[in-house]
This record gives sequence, structure tokens and C-alpha cells, in this order.
Amino acid sequence: MSYLEQTVKYVPTGPRKVFYLNWPIALLLSAVAAIGFLMLYSVAGGSYSPWAEPQMKRFALGFALMVGLAMVPIYFWRNVALLAYLGSLGLLVLVALIGDVGMGAQRWINLGFMRLQPSELMKITLVMLLAAYYDWLPVSKVSHPLWVLLPLGIILVPTALVLEQPDLGTSILLVLGGGAVMFIAGVHWLYFAAVIAAGAGLVTAVFQSRGTDWQLLNDYQYRRIDTFLDPSAEPLGAGYHITQSKIALGSGGWTGRGFMQGTQSRLNFLPEKHTDFIFTTLAEEFGFIGAISLLGLYALIIVFCVMTALSNPNRFAALLTLGIATTFFLFFAVNMSMVMGLIPVVGVPLPLVSYGGSAMIVLMAAFGLVQSAHVHKPR
Amino acid sequence: MIRTPLRPLARILDARAKGENPDAIERENTRLRHEEMRDKARARAEGRLLVLGVMFFCAYAVIGARMGLMASSEPMEPRARASAAEIVMQRADIVDRKGRVLATNFETHSLYAQPPQMIEPKRVAKELVRIFPDLDEERLVKDFTGKRKFLWIKKKISPEQKQAVHDIGDPGLLFGPREMRLYPNGRLASHVLGGASFGKEGVDAAEVIGVAGVEKVFDDFLRDPAEGGMPLQLSLDLTVQAAAERVLYGGMKLMNAKGAASVLMDVHTGEVISVVSLPDFDPNDRPRPPTEGAPDDSPLFNRAVQGVYELGSTFKIFTAAQAMELGLVNPSTVINTKGPLRWGKHKIRDFHNYGPELSVTKIIVKSSNIGTARLAQMIGAKRQQDFLARLGLMEKAPLEIVEASGSTPLLPPSWSEISAMTISYGHGISVSPMHLAAAYAAIANGGTRVKPTLLKRDAPQYGERVMSAQVAAASREMLRKVVTEGTASFAEVPGYAVGGKTGSADKPKPRGGYYDDKVIATFASMFPAHDPKYVLVVTLDEPETFALGEVRRTAGWTAVPVAAEMTNRLAPLLGLRPQVEPGQLAGITLTSN
Repeated sequence: MSYLEQTVKYVPTGPRKVFYLNWPIALLLSAVAAIGFLMLYSVAGGSYSPWAEPQMKRFALGFALMVGLAMVPIYFWRNVALLAYLGSLGLLVLVALIGDVGMGAQRWINLGFMRLQPSELMKITLVMLLAAYYDWLPVSKVSHPLWVLLPLGIILVPTALVLEQPDLGTSILLVLGGGAVMFIAGVHWLYFAAVIAAGAGLVTAVFQSRGTDWQLLNDYQYRRIDTFLDPSAEPLGAGYHITQSKIALGSGGWTGRGFMQGTQSRLNFLPEKHTDFIFTTLAEEFGFIGAISLLGLYALIIVFCVMTALSNPNRFAALLTLGIATTFFLFFAVNMSMVMGLIPVVGVPLPLVSYGGSAMIVLMAAFGLVQSAHVHKPR
Repeated sequence: MIRTPLRPLARILDARAKGENPDAIERENTRLRHEEMRDKARARAEGRLLVLGVMFFCAYAVIGARMGLMASSEPMEPRARASAAEIVMQRADIVDRKGRVLATNFETHSLYAQPPQMIEPKRVAKELVRIFPDLDEERLVKDFTGKRKFLWIKKKISPEQKQAVHDIGDPGLLFGPREMRLYPNGRLASHVLGGASFGKEGVDAAEVIGVAGVEKVFDDFLRDPAEGGMPLQLSLDLTVQAAAERVLYGGMKLMNAKGAASVLMDVHTGEVISVVSLPDFDPNDRPRPPTEGAPDDSPLFNRAVQGVYELGSTFKIFTAAQAMELGLVNPSTVINTKGPLRWGKHKIRDFHNYGPELSVTKIIVKSSNIGTARLAQMIGAKRQQDFLARLGLMEKAPLEIVEASGSTPLLPPSWSEISAMTISYGHGISVSPMHLAAAYAAIANGGTRVKPTLLKRDAPQYGERVMSAQVAAASREMLRKVVTEGTASFAEVPGYAVGGKTGSADKPKPRGGYYDDKVIATFASMFPAHDPKYVLVVTLDEPETFALGEVRRTAGWTAVPVAAEMTNRLAPLLGLRPQVEPGQLAGITLTSN
């Protein structure tokens, strides 16, 4: 559908666009990031270094990037979707060949001033391409097997590359995020039922293959699953994170111990306390109320995204917004579930709160796309 | 809405006839169709969104509920204490045959640092160096001020040191409980016990694993909680072992030997009552394997088990015993000992010329190489091989220490007739003192094979019969005569009739040939000779003593006096009373003051 088919009332142009930004979303993002700064300040023992200060700078950069991207017309993003996808796919291949190895996995490309994690980029460009694809594809063909196979390939190729790194968390997020876009686009539900059944089969296969020569996962991944199933089995080994974060959450109680009063996290019981497990610090210092408030902020961001998507007649814009919202949701849902021991430990940061450059910048860029969709919505 | 197609032409014409524009109608229809599709897609998308929304909501509900549940739960105490059980700290004691402790555990502490918590790294480093002078202050300061978040400072510290570190008063210094393996007797039985070190290490616990000796072989048993901490009981006798080490050490120094080994074995059970290898080490502070020098000169090297040597004339008794067992000779059969004995280009000589012929007993007593070689010719290579194998001299000593795997005897590549002849007097075959003791035990116990063991046995363990009881008795008589009238006259210990055989073998050079001035001197003995209870093998490496105006290296002058002193000291400890040898006139000496 092009603009010609719509009754165009008004699309803002020029500097006026700034007034049409989705300010609620921008404010909510800033609020969440501010919570992140507080937490990083706290885990560093009441110090802006080494985490809070760089994080603030990055957020400022990310915010500027978001506004910048929002100014670019949404059709531009649709047109470059394929290019962006292929670009990040290329980077993924590159990282497999020359990437830096960090913490046992090959995930980064060193750009000199920052280390780029192409898998982060892929989360967004994948959603972009799928949205563009379903915008281009006539609605009647959406559930045709051939036209389902194509997006499946689009999802699975980068997933395989990310799984190879190995990064189970990101590959799961890619599959779920891409699948969500396909679901919203209206692919017949039987496909999803089939995929879920196949997934169940795969899980069985993964467990069956353990210890045989065709073992499908790394030993450390099996250990994480074991640990998830029984964290107390190895409380000092792989189960350490979960045990300690449970202690932190439990000791936080309803109202928390108070800002800078957390013991579990500040006394170095928790490794990764400033990245993937930062939620435990929040839960310990601000308790249930603090944790549920963060959850509420996240939920509000999603709600605002869904609202703007529903009122957007542009299919690409709507799908893109919803896809990014879903990815965002998956990020924090997976992270929180992991921290609380609902699912196995997979390396997924808490969006906007966890310390980390790549993830923050990419996420803000993604919200730049959401803003662009919102700004260029015909009114 | 029902879409009415305008084609075929008839309808267009029809429409035209009515004055309507067919293109307009077509456009309108397309628009309606698109709108309908869009509505449908939108409706479906909204439905899908609803499903997704429900899923989101469920996820939220689960996370929220979980959060509430965890928040309302009583804060769990850190489980690190209980979880340390993951690393099994229990390690069973090792005790001697009378239940006296040889190895036990000791509560101690490790010292580690968390530099981020450290307040005054410079002062801490300075104070630490004062307490532990072996630490490097500069290095500590570097570690404490660098990026490290954790580092070990000392793996084991004493309570006094712990208090001193405590007094530094820095929160960045922390202690972790450690269980330490302690060998309260120091160097005693070091080669048997081996040693232990830390395996998996956590802050709150460390696993103690055996690295050598019985500690390694029985590592699983000692660590198995299912055994309930039952101590491992060895066949060693702490008192005897201590005395043996003392006497052997003195003997080694006296004879200017660079190393010494001894094995004391119960002939009926195969229990090793004492096994000594000198130089030794302290298993509490087990040295690292040497990187230079001959590995068999290292204190870690167990000469009694790993040391395979040509043990020389001590083998002659096996030849004589087999010849008698086969009915080829009896003790008084006269054998031609005219020398030298030529075999191809080889010549076999005796140490002295013992005359043209000797009886079998005399061959043993005088230690005639030629006579023994003649016996070996009568026996033949094949049968000799079988006999030595049955004595356990052709395979690794089945002892329960890891080092026993290094006790593989060195055998000739092809067992030719000349090999058989040299092997008959103990050259061309290398076995460990432990092997020799087990083989002598077979003669001592009446002719059944003995498997050496380090575990306490409650009943005699008789293996397969190697020789008849008569042959064993005859052999013992010969061995007794070696002491009473032969090469081992210094072995005589009043009250404990000793029988045994000396052996002095030139040490092989690393690149072939033999040294003239370096020998392995061995005395293999049993006591009391008329009803042996114990076998004692003493081996000295490169002994040299000056007696009666010349330098003496042969066993009769070196190993034998040392063995005699050991017998003298050990026999009473073993609970043997001095006895008058049967068949001798008992001379009673009255003492009066």
C-alpha cells in the first residue's frame, strides 16, 4: 500500500517533526535508563566510575541517535531494510572469521573506539526486513508455503550464525522476535503449531543427544540447563548466579534495603552484577515495589508502541513498531525470568539498565525507527 | 458485498447503454475489494495482537508473581557454607598395622584478598611481607592496586599467622577454611604415603587429592563418603619403619653410599612391614619432580620399588633351588667349576679361584659364578624363564602405590643360553628390591609364591607352589651356611639365626659396559633361618668402605653389616625372641655379677 491509496491528511515535514516525536516513549526510555544509572552507581559502591558515567554518555549518544533516526522518513527505512539486513549478516560472517573472543564466545568486532556486536544489530535489522517483506507481500499470499519459507530462511540464517558463536540467548531472541513479526503479519496459525511441535521434538533430541557423538549443544550449555533444573546441584559452579540472585531478591523483600544498601550485589557475591544480573541489585535495594515499577515502565513502553502501531495505516511502520516492541519485551522478559530462575541462564542483558555499549546504542536506534514510524504517521 | 464482474463485453456494453462509466465502476470495485482485504488483514492483525497481548500479559503475570513470591520469602542465608559440602573435604586417615596415624587431616586456613575492598593496599602489602617473608612486596602492591578482584595469597597458614593477618585489620583480606593433609611423622614412610595436594579449590573449601603413593592409589577410597571415614590400614609398622629408616640411614652414611633401600616383608602374608628408600622427603612438603640430574637420584624416586637393578649373586639361590626342584642335583652334587668358563666369545669368571670343583652348597656359599652357570646350562633357558616368572620376577611388583607401575623388570631381549647363564647369577636381569624380597619370601615360607602388599592381612596368603617344601628347606640351609661359613659372615646376629645371600653387581654405564668402581651391593636375608618369619632385603647404591687395608665395595663388607644391624634392631621390635638354633648344642652362659 502506498501513500496514494490513503487519504493523506497531514504528514509533518521539516523541523516540525520534532514536535511530533512520541514523547511518552522517549520519556519512559529516559526513566528506565535513569534507573540503570542509579543501579550502576550503586553497584560500583557509590561511584560514577567505572560504569555509571560511560553509561550516561552512551545513553546521551543513543538518545541523539534516536532523534536523528526519527527525522528520516519511514519509507527510507523500508527501502534500506534489505540492505541493512544483508549488511548485518555480512558482519556476522565477519565476526565468525575475525571477531574478538570474549568470555569463551566470538561475538565482537573491534572497531577501535567501540566493540560492535553484530548479533545485536541483527535483532533490529531482522525485524526491519520482515516488516518490509510483509509490507511488500500481498496479503493473500501471506500463508502460502513458499512465501512462508522465505522469511523462515531470513530468520534462520542469522540464527545459525549466532548459535555458532555460540550465543544461545541471542539466537533464541532472534527466532522469537522474527516469529512474532510473522505471527502479527498473519501467517496461518497452523505453521506456528507445527513449529512449536518441532521445537518440542528438538528439545527432546537435544537431551537425547547428550553424551553421544552427535551432541547438539556445548557441554556448558547442558550444564546451564542442568543448573536451571536444579540450581542447588552446583551452587558454587554454574548455579552460583541463580542462587545468589535468589538470595538478593529474597533479602530485598517488599520495600528493599534502600539505595546503596544491597549486600549481595555490593559485596561482590554476584559476578556480572553490572550487566546481565543488575536486576538483582534493583530487587535487593528497592524490593518488590522497585522491581514491579521497572516492570511497569517497560510495560508502558510496550503499550505506547502498540498504540502508535495500531493507529498507523502504513503496514511497514506498524509491523516494524510491533516487531521492535516484541523484541524489547523479549529482552527484559527473558532477562528477568533468567534472573529469577524461571528459565535457564542465557546471556541476555536487561535493556537500557545493564551496562553495555552495543546493546544500548542498538536499542536506542531501534526506538529511533519506532519514532520515525510515529512521526511519519499520516494524521 | 458481491462483486459483479463487468466482463464479458456484454455487460460493458450494457453499462454503456445505461450511460455509466465502466472504468469508474471497475475502479470502485477494486477499491472496495482492497478495503475489504485491508479490513480483513487488520482484523486478523488485531486478533493476532490480542493473542500476543495475552501472552505478554501472562509473561508479566508470571514474572510479577514470581517476584512477589521471592520478595515475600524469608531471605535465605547464603548457602555457601552448606554448599561447600559439594567439595568433599573429608579424607580418611591412613594408619599403620597397629592403628597408629600415618596421615590425617588438619584444619587450617587459606588467605586470599579482594583488592576492591582493600583500604590501604600499600600498608597491607608491607605488613603481609613482615608476616610471610617469602612474599614479594612490590608484586603484592601491584596486584592489590591493579584490576584484579581476587587473588590467593597463601594456601595454608597457621593459626598464629592467621591472627597476625587478622591484626592488620583490612577488610580486603579474607580467610577460607582449608583442610590440610598432615603427615605427623614427617619423613616416615614418605615413599609409601606419597603426598596430597589441593584439587578443586573454592573460597570455602578445597578438595585434598592424593598425588603419589597409597594416597593416589586409594584416592577414591579415602575420599568416598560412603566409607564413613574408615581409615586405610596399611601393613607398615610405624615403630619398625622408624627404626629401619634410622638404621639404614646410618648404614648408608657409614658405607658412603649415595642411596639405599630396604624391604622387610612377612613371608607368610606378603605384608610389607617396612620399606625404606633413601634419600627420602617430607610428604608434608613434597618437593617438585627434579628438572635436571638423573631422575633416579631424586628423593622422590622409590629405590625399593621403582629402582630396578641387577641384583647379582642374590639370584644364585633361585638357580640352585630350581636345579634341585628339577631333580638335576642335590645339595652335595659336585659341579665342575674350572674357570674361566668359555661360551662363544664370552668368558665367565669367579671372583676368586675356588678350585676345579664344588658341591652345589659350596657354590652358593662361595658364590661361584661358574658353578651357577653350569647349573643354568643343565636347567636350560626355557625352564629358567618359567621358574623366575613363577617367583614373580618377570612382571611389575603388584604393590599398592602408583610408583609400582615403574617397577617393570628389565629382561634380556632374547633369552639365549648365554643370557640364561648370566641370569643364573643375577646379571642381565634387573628387578627391584621389592621383587627380590617377594621371591626370597617364597623360599622362606616353604615354597609358595608371595604377592607383596601394603595392606594389612589377617591370615597367611599362600600363592601357587613354586618349589617343594624340601627344596625350600634345602635352599634355606644353604642360605644359612652363606652366613655361617660364606660371604655373609658379618650377618650373624646372636639369637636370630640369619640366612641370606650377598650380591654385588657392577653398575651399568649409561652408554653400555660396566663401571669398575660402582656397585649395587645387596643382601637378601631371612630370619630365623630354621623357621623364617621375615625377609629383609638391603640394597646400597655405590657403597665404598675402607677395611683391612683396601677399599671394599662387595656386599659382604657393605650391605651385610648394615643388614645385620637392622636385624639386630628390628627383630625385637617385631616381637621375635632370641632363640637357640635347633640342631646346635645349646651353650648356656651364666651371668653373674
